[in-house]
Formats: sequence, C-alpha cells, structure tokens
Amino acid sequence: MGRKLTFEIFRYTPLDPASTPHMQQYTLEEHPSMTLFIALNQIREMHDATLQFDFCCRAGICGSCGMVINGRPGLACHTQTRDLQDHITLHPLPVFKLLGDLSVDTGTWFRNVGTKIESWIHTNKEFDPEAQEERMDNALANRIFELDRCVECGCCVAACGTARMREDFIGATAINRLARFYIDPRDNRTPADYYDLIGDDNGVFGCMGLLACDNVCPKQIPLQDQLGIMRRMSTLESVRGILPEFLRKKLQGCGHIEA
Amino acid sequence: MQTFYCDVLCMGAGLAGERVAVEAAQAGFKVICLSIVPPRRSHSSAAQGGMQAALGNSIMGEGDCPEIHFKDTVKGSDWGCDQEVARLFATTAPIAMREMAWMGVPWNRVVAGEHTYYKGGKPFQATEKAENEGLIHSRAFGGTAKWRTCYTSDGTGHAVLFTLDNRMLQLGVEVHDRMQAEALVHDGGHCLGCVARNLRTGELTGYFARATLIATGGFGRIYRATTNAVICDGGGQITALDTGIVPLGNMEAVQFHPTGTVPTDILVTEGCRGDGGTLLDVNEYRFMPDYEPEKAELASRDVVSRRMTEHMRKGFGVKSPYGEHLWLDIRHLGEQHITTNLREVYDICTHFLGVDPIRQLIPVRPTQHYSMGGVRVNKDGHAYGLEGLFAAGEAACWDMHGFNRLGGNSLAETVVAGRIVGKKIVEFLQGKDAGSFTARHMNAAAGAVRERIDALRRGTGEDCYALRNAMQDVMMEYVGIFRNGKDLQTGVNKLQEILERCKNMSLKGGGRPGPDGELAMALRVPGMVRLALCVAYGALMRTESRGAHAREDYPERNDKDWLTRTLAYWKEGDTLPTLKYEPATPFFILPPGDRGYGGGKIIPGESIVEDKLLPFGQDA
Amino acid sequence: MTPRSPGDVRNRLDFWQALSGACLALFICVHLVLEGSVVLSPSITNGIGWLLEVTYAAQIAAPLIVLLILFHFWIAARKMPFRAGELQIFVVHSKALREPDTWLWLVQVFTAVIILAGAFFHVYTVMTDMPITVAGSARRLHSGWLLFHAVFLPSIILHTGIGIYRLAVKFGVCRKSSRDRWRRAVWIGMGCYLALGVCALTRVWFIGC
Repeated sequence: MGRKLTFEIFRYTPLDPASTPHMQQYTLEEHPSMTLFIALNQIREMHDATLQFDFCCRAGICGSCGMVINGRPGLACHTQTRDLQDHITLHPLPVFKLLGDLSVDTGTWFRNVGTKIESWIHTNKEFDPEAQEERMDNALANRIFELDRCVECGCCVAACGTARMREDFIGATAINRLARFYIDPRDNRTPADYYDLIGDDNGVFGCMGLLACDNVCPKQIPLQDQLGIMRRMSTLESVRGILPEFLRKKLQGCGHIEA
Repeated sequence: MQTFYCDVLCMGAGLAGERVAVEAAQAGFKVICLSIVPPRRSHSSAAQGGMQAALGNSIMGEGDCPEIHFKDTVKGSDWGCDQEVARLFATTAPIAMREMAWMGVPWNRVVAGEHTYYKGGKPFQATEKAENEGLIHSRAFGGTAKWRTCYTSDGTGHAVLFTLDNRMLQLGVEVHDRMQAEALVHDGGHCLGCVARNLRTGELTGYFARATLIATGGFGRIYRATTNAVICDGGGQITALDTGIVPLGNMEAVQFHPTGTVPTDILVTEGCRGDGGTLLDVNEYRFMPDYEPEKAELASRDVVSRRMTEHMRKGFGVKSPYGEHLWLDIRHLGEQHITTNLREVYDICTHFLGVDPIRQLIPVRPTQHYSMGGVRVNKDGHAYGLEGLFAAGEAACWDMHGFNRLGGNSLAETVVAGRIVGKKIVEFLQGKDAGSFTARHMNAAAGAVRERIDALRRGTGEDCYALRNAMQDVMMEYVGIFRNGKDLQTGVNKLQEILERCKNMSLKGGGRPGPDGELAMALRVPGMVRLALCVAYGALMRTESRGAHAREDYPERNDKDWLTRTLAYWKEGDTLPTLKYEPATPFFILPPGDRGYGGGKIIPGESIVEDKLLPFGQDA
Repeated sequence: MTPRSPGDVRNRLDFWQALSGACLALFICVHLVLEGSVVLSPSITNGIGWLLEVTYAAQIAAPLIVLLILFHFWIAARKMPFRAGELQIFVVHSKALREPDTWLWLVQVFTAVIILAGAFFHVYTVMTDMPITVAGSARRLHSGWLLFHAVFLPSIILHTGIGIYRLAVKFGVCRKSSRDRWRRAVWIGMGCYLALGVCALTRVWFIGC
C-alpha cells in the first residue's frame, strides 16, 4: 500500500465560458516508479476526463510537459512522485499563453522567437551533392551539440524573473540557441550581426543574472555561461567607437576560445 | 469553417514531413505543415542512435558502399522489401547525410589516431586514418556488415529535427501545430486536402492542397508496451484507410525493440549494444552468443527480440513486479563513455528507473517499437489509389524495410525518402495546372467528422480510455512477438467486438469547449482499432514466419507462397480489412537466401527467371 | 530587419551600468578600508582625511560619486519593477521558485533605493561639516546618525557584494564550474567588510564618549 498523494491542480480553460480559474484537488494511491506522467493520466482516465495537460515522448526528450511543480518549473514526465511530498501542487508554466489547465502554447512562442533571432545557419554556400562534406573538428561538433540539446520546454523562461516582468524578453533558450550558431563555423554571421539580433534590453542585456534558468534546466545546459559569452560579445559590439579597437578585438576573442 | 489553400500539405512535421516541406518550399511552392504537437516535439526527436549511410569514413566502415548497405537492408527485411526502393535508399543516403551537415547538423566526426572500441563487450584498438580526420564518423548498429551509422552523440533525431526545423523557419514554411487531421478530402480519384481539428479551440479547419503528404509516423500506441510517444496513434494511416481506396501495406510487420526499459517502456538506444553493451540473464550470464555465435547482441532486432523472449520462456528471465525482464550491461564501457556518447541513456536510467548504468544493470525487455507497415506508396512516394496523395517516413510503406528494419535505417529513411519524395512532389506539381478546388468534397468530409463528434456526444457506452485499453490488451496478449493461428483468431474476434463497442462510445467529460484531450482521443480510437485489425488479420492470414512476423505454427520463411506484400483495404461498414497481395519486389538484385543470423528454415520459391534478376548498377 | 547602429545609445546602457557599477564598487571597497583604518588608530584616519582634503580629492570626488550613483541608478532603474504589478509578480515568483539568486535581486532593488537616499544625506552632512575628522564623525554618531549607519552600511555592503557577483555572472567571468567558489568568496568578502565597518563604528562611538 503506497502513500496517498494529494494533487492540487490549477484549472481554467479560457475558451470555456463556464470555466473560472481555481485549484482542484485529486487523491491517488502512489505506486513504485510513479511519475507525474503516470499520475496525471490516471487522474484523467479515472477521475476527471476534462483535465488538460500535454505529454508526448514521456521520456524527457521532447519537452512537451513543462509545468510548475510545487512552485518550480520542470518536466512532469521525469519527475518521480517519490521525490515529492505527499501534497503536490501543479500550475501551468507562466509567460506562455494558457490553453487549458496545465497546457500552454509553447509552440507559438518558440516559433516567434526562432524567427526573431534567425535561428538557422547563414551561409552563402550552395549544397553540392557530388562533393565530400566539409570537415569539422569532432570536439567542436560535440560543443555545438551540447548547446543544441535544448528541448525548448520553456522551463528557463518560466523561471526567469525578467521574462515574468517583461514579456518581450527572448529568454535564455533563445540566447543559448544563438550561442550555438556563434560557435558554428558554418554560420558566417559576424558579432555585429548577432548584436543586431540580441543587443538590447529585450535580448541579452535584459538578463539580470538571476541564474534560475540554469538551475531549472532539465537538460542541465550551462545557460548562464552562454548568456555571459553572448553578453560580452554584444557589449563589446555596443562600444564600438568608445573602446579602442585593439582592446575590443582582444576582449572579443575570448568567447570563442573558452566555452 | 476556416479553410486554407496551399500547394503542399504535410500532415506531420517530424523528420520526413519537414524534409518534404523543405524540398517543396525550396522549389517555391506554398507549403503548410500540420502537427499535433509543435514540430520540435515530434517523435523523431526521440531517436537516439543514428542514421545509416555508406560514407565509409571510419576505419570500421572502411570499404563500405551503397551496395553493401543495400544487401544488409534486404537481408534485414528478410527479403520482404522492394529492392528497387532499397537500392534507391542506399545510394541516396550518403548525399542526404552530407546535405544535413550542410544545413547544420553537428555530426560526430572522425578523430585520427588510435581509439579503443568495443565489440561484443570486448575492447579492441583501431586506428582512424589521418586523411579522414573531420569527416562524418559512424558507429556500429545491428545487422550491418560495416560500421555505418552516422550520429550526433545520442541525440541524432533531436539534432537533425532541430536543424530541419531551423531550415523551415528560414524558408518561412507555415506550421499549424496542435492540429489533428481527421479525414482526407478526395473525389474518389484525387486527394484534395484534409479536414483537421484544432486542438487549441476544438474547431474544424479545412485544408485544400494540390498535393497532400502523410508523414505522421508510426502507430505503436495500439500496443500497451511501446517505446512510441503518446501521439504515435497512426492518425495518418487511419485517414488513408478510411478512404476505402488507399491500401496499407504489410501492417502485420511490427518490430519489437530488444531494449525497452522496465517498467516505463522508454527505449535505450541500440547504440548501447553497438558500442559493446551485452545482454545478461537472471544469472548475469551472457546468453546471446549461444543463440547467435557470430552476431550475438548485434543480430537484427527481430532476431534479438525473439531470442530474448525464447530465453525468458526457458526460465532465465528476471522476475519483477512489472513482469519478467533481462539485463542490459554497459558498465564496462566506463563513466566517460556513458556520460558523453550515451548520455541520453544515462539520463533515462537515472531519471526514470533510478538505476545508475555506470554501476548497475539496466532492466530491459522487447517492446513494440516500429511499424514497418503503413500507407502503401510507390517508389516516388505516391500512394496507391489516390492521385496527389503521398506518404513518407514511418507512416509509409515505401517499402525498404520489408518485414524487419535495421536500426538506423528508419531515421535515415526519413531524410532520404523526404528528399526523394519531396522532389517527386515538386515534379508532380510542376506538371500540373493550378487546378481549382470545389467546396463539395470538403463539406462532405467535414460533415462526416462533425457527425462523428455529435455521435460521441450522444453516446452512452464505454469511454475512449476503456476501449483503447481493451484494444491494447488484446494486441499485447494475442498479437505479440510470437504469434500463432489460434491466438490471432481470438485477437481478431476480440478486436471486432471492440470495434462494435466503439459505435456507442461516450465522453465522460461531456465534450467541453476549447481543447478537449478526451474528444481528441475518442476520435482516434475506432481508427486505431481498425489499424489493430489490419495488423492482427494480416498476421493471421500470413501463414509463414518472416522478419518480425514470427508464427509458431508456421516457423519457416515461405518464399514459395509468401514473397509478397499484404495490402489491406477497408470498405465502409466492414468489420475486417480486405486483404490483397502483390509481389514483394519488381525485380531481384539479391535473390532470396539465408540472412546469416536468426536461424530458421526456408521454403525456397521457384528459381527466379533471368529478366527478373538485375545487377546492382543496372536499371530495370 | 533594419540593422541596429552600433552607436544606438539605448543599447549602450548595459555597458554604462556595468562600468559605473564597477567603478562604484571599487570606490566603496577603498572607502570602507580607509574608514576602517580608524580601528587601528584614529590618527591614521584623520591623516587620510587631511590628505584627501588638502589635495581637494574629497571635495571633487564626493559630488562626482553622487553623480555617478545617480547615473548608475538612473540606468539600472530601467530594470526595476516600477510598472504596475511588476513588483508583485516578482515577489510571488520569488516565493514560489525558492531560488536564492532571484531573492538576491530583490535585495538589490531595495538596497538601491536606500543607498540613493542615504548617499545624498551622507555626503551632504560630511561635506557641510568639514574638515573630515574622526571626532566629527563621532559627534554625528551620537547626535542620531548611528541608526542611519546601521541601515546604510549593510545596504552598501550587500549591494556592492551582490553587484560584483552579478556582474561576474552576467559577463561570464563566474562560470557554472566556479560559481560556488565565487559565492563563497563574495559572502566572505561581505562578512569581512561588515565586520570591519562594525568595528570602525564601535571604535568611533566610544571615542565620542
């Protein structure tokens, strides 16, 4: 006989005129290896078929199931109930548009931000089907993949104080994405180009270094380090004409070498 | 009803759907992608291992070429595949991989010098050539003569999907996410688009398209224990089957992956075994070499899954509250290797199982993983029966996988088929006038969907979850890894009865405005049961064992009678599919023979006449 | 997209915020050490005061520092939760999230307001009460300024310490790997400065007896 778990879940469907925001309680018996994925599906199938939430891969890979678990954003599918108290509070991720109960529209948000920061390789080269691939250092490939691992779950955005107060802030995930292109030799954008995309208070200068993004990231991506690299680069771009050019160049190099 | 017009409508925005969309958008056509989830959440992202392509850059892949890749694929398929398609695939794969590198995929690269690799759990040294430094690297996968699986750490699907989706952003392809396609719109000869239900608002939306692509992935959710995502419910195949004119091919060919974890059914990659992981039984004894002396853990998936089941039946399984399982051992690969090259595996074990794979064994058992069957298309990706309907990826039966696909071939298929089918769609559109759309067929299709929704609101019977669970239980119990006539007949009967019960399905939640997860599921379940019937009935009628289809009562591979592909049609009002058969391949490059693993007897067919036998490099 | 001119003033604000903050932090560190010299001997402090006065360093620097503080505040205030509801959102957010670094930012905001007001009074009284001597300070302490310093000193130290840490984080000097070391160093540094400040205040208080 497992523990008796009490779930307190935020309920509200904006499109349903009969719906008002409130918290609703459900109780379940805990089983070994129970995750929030299993628990929420049990609630929907056995107690309340109207409960809305999003799951997809249920393996912590796709990033669909970001929600606020006992106050902290995280992926529901890889949260095991045994790591939680027997009273569990669930809210939808803030910042993103609420669709219903625990389900939010991360898709539209990420598409907009992806377009805004031009999240693709900028190259003049055409693909030549006959030619051998361009060579790349394996260590560099690994570094790029390290930043490419972001699953766009939105947890870092939901945990960000700036994003909570200023809805136009692009968030750690977007800056991390640009950092990925910044170290990719296939992308021919210059620091000035990146500065054009993120060199303002809605971009990298909006970050206040609160570190919550870093601490909640379910993929443990070193987001704040990437923010640091991109901020340094953008700041040095912003002081073109103020700082002597040789000093600027010297300082600018450091982002590329470390990381 | 809001209606959109486009040149190409991609149902599904995983790797195959996006690759086609990119190809069409590059040619200047207006493309709309529909997706149940935001595209980057598609199940393609969960594919860890890699993509097979005969680049031959690594030392263990030296001398590789498309012909060897082709032969591995045909053997893997147990001669069930279309050899023309398999050849097309093998020759295009290297180009497709290089193209993805150009788009931005951070493939792992060759590092010159001596490295320690593992084969069968034993380390050995190999020296990568200096002249290949920095070219795309490869790792070992099951059923292959060479190491040819290109990879990015263990997030290949994720990395390629994100790269393709970036390309989509660049080309400005419209994506309508949280859209679930419910029915194809057609006039009996041409496909005109689809009717979809908006999962944000619950409203129906019409899409007119000159070419429609089904790229909705697999239908693993008809099984309870599956590695597939919850969205892999066969939505695309259902819409095709419902037309009554488009057949589904080889639905009985269902692959079970040897290493689904217990109890969560989350997959750990074949790369574990490719990199030297071994399978152990209750006594922690490595049993696979006893069954498969040569390939051991790296025989094809159907063989390994069957051997594991066989070994468990002999009483060597590990008992657990979640049923019997075996162990996967990767401890000897070491912390460094596990936390970098197999990091996703490490995360899954620690987060979902509470197992530390550096020090502990991983509980695994064969779990439903891949659907070789799907919407039957020709080599251009054009569906049988409806002009303007295409399919690619797991949703399609293109048919390069036959009765068993090799690890790393499906992920490669998505971008290779996407590239080829995309170009064929472009050709198809260029050869046609703009055409005009009439509302009549759209209204009829939308009306039918509306009627189904109304019927659900009126229903008084069981809810969709109970019916889905009943179907899943039948599939697990009677249509699993080992099959026999008696069980399959029972399964078919039970599924027919469940299909009948679906007619009075009810909504527990009442069907409220806005997103309604229950209604979305309820609309799917009858279709899923029909897919399940295609699988079970196809398996019942196929009285032989081939690839992943293993009949205990017909253990031989029967090339005399069954070198064929099953085509399942569903006539309106029927409770069983109508099965037809066609030759598995238009010609042979590799005549039927022994796979070299898996054992089993073969009933040989008649010798192949000369004009049906072609060399690899020659066209028919 | 129209490319942004590199000289766009608004996008340099972050740079000026960081630079002015760094300068002020440096000033505070030096200032507190000089003040702290009273612990060793009041005559050292008096000597430093005399030196700064005869060179006119104090008379010139003090108004400049005030201006710099105003400048720093004016720039940094664009991030402050002034708009309706922002503060409430942030407080609720911090409570739910239970992240120390998120709380620390609220500390920054409150200490900033205290410092802005306090710095003005502090400079005003010192400048109108020349020359700078320990005895003068003691007199002021006894006439009611002790309470002021009890609030002002910790605020300054907290704001400076957190500011330095935040600067290092934001510009990637303090990295994930070195974050714990940084945190420890900053807290120890703040502790030392606070101890020094308290000792100095105690010393001055008893001189005034």
